[in-house]
Amino acid sequence: MNLHFKILMPVSFVLFLSFGFKIQNEKIYFNEKIISSFVLNDIYGKLFSLDNYKKNKGCIVVFTCNHCPFATLYQERLNKLNEKYKEKGFPLIAINSISAVDFPEENISDLKKRAKDKKYNFPYLVDTKQEAARLFGASKTPHAFVVYWQNNQWLVKYNGAIDDNGAEPAKAEEHYVENAINELIAGKSVSVKETKSIGCAIKFKN
Amino acid sequence: MNRKLFFTRFALCAFVIVRAQSYNQLWIPDTLSGTVFNLTAKDTFKQIVSGNQTITGGFNSNFWGPTLFVNKGDVVHMNIKNELQDTTTVHWHGMHLPAIMDGGPHQKIAPNTTWSPYWKVSNHAATYWYHPHLDMMAQKQITEGLGGFLIVRDSNERSLNLPRTYGIDDIPLAITDRDIDHGTKQFVEVPYGDSIMVNGTLRPQYTVPSQIVRFRILDAAIETSYNLGFSDNRSFTVITTDGGLLNSPVTISGTAPRFLISAGERVEILVNFSGQSGNSVFLKAYNSTLPQNVPGGDFFPGGPFVSYLGKQDYNILKLNVGPQTSNAVINVPSTLANNVYYVASQASYTRTVTISDSTGVTTPPILGPNAFIINHKLFDINYINYTVPLDNIEIWEIKSTSGFSHPFHIHDVEFNILTRNGVAPAAYEQGWKDVVLVKSNETVRFIAKFDDYADVLKPYMFHCHIAMHEDEGMMGQFVVGQAPTGITDIQKNKNMVIYPNPTSGVIHFEMSNQVIISKIEVISTHGQTLMETKNEAQNKVDISGLTTGMYFLKLTDDKGVSYIKSYYKE
Repeated sequence: MNLHFKILMPVSFVLFLSFGFKIQNEKIYFNEKIISSFVLNDIYGKLFSLDNYKKNKGCIVVFTCNHCPFATLYQERLNKLNEKYKEKGFPLIAINSISAVDFPEENISDLKKRAKDKKYNFPYLVDTKQEAARLFGASKTPHAFVVYWQNNQWLVKYNGAIDDNGAEPAKAEEHYVENAINELIAGKSVSVKETKSIGCAIKFKN
Repeated sequence: MNRKLFFTRFALCAFVIVRAQSYNQLWIPDTLSGTVFNLTAKDTFKQIVSGNQTITGGFNSNFWGPTLFVNKGDVVHMNIKNELQDTTTVHWHGMHLPAIMDGGPHQKIAPNTTWSPYWKVSNHAATYWYHPHLDMMAQKQITEGLGGFLIVRDSNERSLNLPRTYGIDDIPLAITDRDIDHGTKQFVEVPYGDSIMVNGTLRPQYTVPSQIVRFRILDAAIETSYNLGFSDNRSFTVITTDGGLLNSPVTISGTAPRFLISAGERVEILVNFSGQSGNSVFLKAYNSTLPQNVPGGDFFPGGPFVSYLGKQDYNILKLNVGPQTSNAVINVPSTLANNVYYVASQASYTRTVTISDSTGVTTPPILGPNAFIINHKLFDINYINYTVPLDNIEIWEIKSTSGFSHPFHIHDVEFNILTRNGVAPAAYEQGWKDVVLVKSNETVRFIAKFDDYADVLKPYMFHCHIAMHEDEGMMGQFVVGQAPTGITDIQKNKNMVIYPNPTSGVIHFEMSNQVIISKIEVISTHGQTLMETKNEAQNKVDISGLTTGMYFLKLTDDKGVSYIKSYYKE
């Protein structure tokens, strides 16, 4: 595998730079993380750069994997999210940051097989060095981020769970990712900016 | 609204609320038996409350694990596949086995690897369990649900007319509590929960036959002790302690029959439901009567130790009595076993182990503000507290000056409690034990024989079974070994430096902990003392007269503490 990963932003733009401010006590703006662009290979070895998505309003980034039972509950929903929001300017990108040494089901051929079986309609990137996971601060699979292209930078507008029911999607009462995008599209600020991502922990290699 | 109407409506509302809290069928773990057992630890999820699922861990299951039935005398082989994201270990709680098979913090199982311990089962018939024991990770992994029952059968137990039909009249109950975040529906890793779970089931109920029923009760909690009793204050009969049947059953009766069980402990009780078909009764925790310094009797309204169930009485399990089965057991046997316990005069050594609060202790720095310590020291995985000579019968005196009570657990052995504060323990505690609740400022003396398995490199653990205390460092370790003759209390102390090594002439030593060495011995690998001298030559000894080979240098300080290290004579 010839995977590589580059920071394309100017060096002066420190990673994880964030800003935040408080207006009296009425409204607290969460720190919005700036994501520097990145380049990763997808499961077919094709180079993917986040900057190619600048033409969109933003995108949905979901860290997922093959082996985690909770992540696999969301496979269909990832397709549906991409289907629904791609044309609205928020395509979905999935990233796998799980070690195939620890979990053999995470090897490229199994990822390809899953993508084929589940008819993934979105790019599935391989983050062998876990740099994208570190960049976003992804801690679980699945862990979703809604990023938004604004002021010439990628801003994380939402970070956390996709919705609030893994095994029974029909019973979900909160659709966090969808709500965040709908609010962005409507020109509003995102009301729920962060939730606890639920699933299997992403173990970082030192 | 007049008062009467108000109260009627209030009562009606309360009734509706109570009714709304429906009961769930108690889950009885699947069983595995034979001599080869395959367990896979995995991260998974379970529908525990309504709404989102809770991330859990389990062995071959989505919470907890199968009950393993083993026979005394059989050699059992375990294959533990770790499919967790984390490294883990699996400890066979209560089993007498080689230290390397014990599954303590040293027997790590990396993700995607399999650990295959084996041993000959020599424990008495009783209820044991298995659970993760990774240093500083026990609370997290036990909270996720990883654990399971291990039930030993033997010929004596088989010969008795006891209830023995698993899930029918012989029912395992792993009692624990969890704090479930109401928003995310996830477990919160805290010592005390807000929800009781039995075998992973919230608000459980179960139908028992109208006859004598055996409950195998395990306190699988992170911290809580449960003061068990029945809602109708019926009497019940204790037949086991942690590690075997009592010689005779002990009936707990009176106006309020209670049995206090603490984290890690097991008890098997017999309860008579004869002629009660159609009735219901609750197994309850009567923790309102526990003192503040017993886990579960304390109450914190907020903060990290908030205990929603602290100092309260609450239901654990609703029991509905159904029809009697065929071959029902209707009498309790009058004798159960013929255990012969060690007596104090047989002990060749008494070890004093202290339990204390960390308040005021600054070296080494204490991890948490509420850490408790053993022997005034936090756990150090590279430090062996004791070397116990093989076949030693020892009295361990656990002396607590702590303001809190701690369930003290020792690996390798089953022991017998000799005294609590100088007084013989209650009849229901006079059996084989591996956990004992050492109450605040109490001194507990127990006796055990450290036989069969010697390994001077691989230690066994002793620790507080409150997982949080254990993780914070309330743990020590000992090896069982064939020590060189005459050495009963070696401290493998890293403070001892010897040089040059190997050497042909004079060997020098230094003690970095500043103790004054008064006696020097040179011991052969066969344990024979070859030289013995006072330390009059400024921390050195001439060994030029010895033949080439491996030797031990044993140093004894002016307080009688011994240190030993091996060296090579060229």
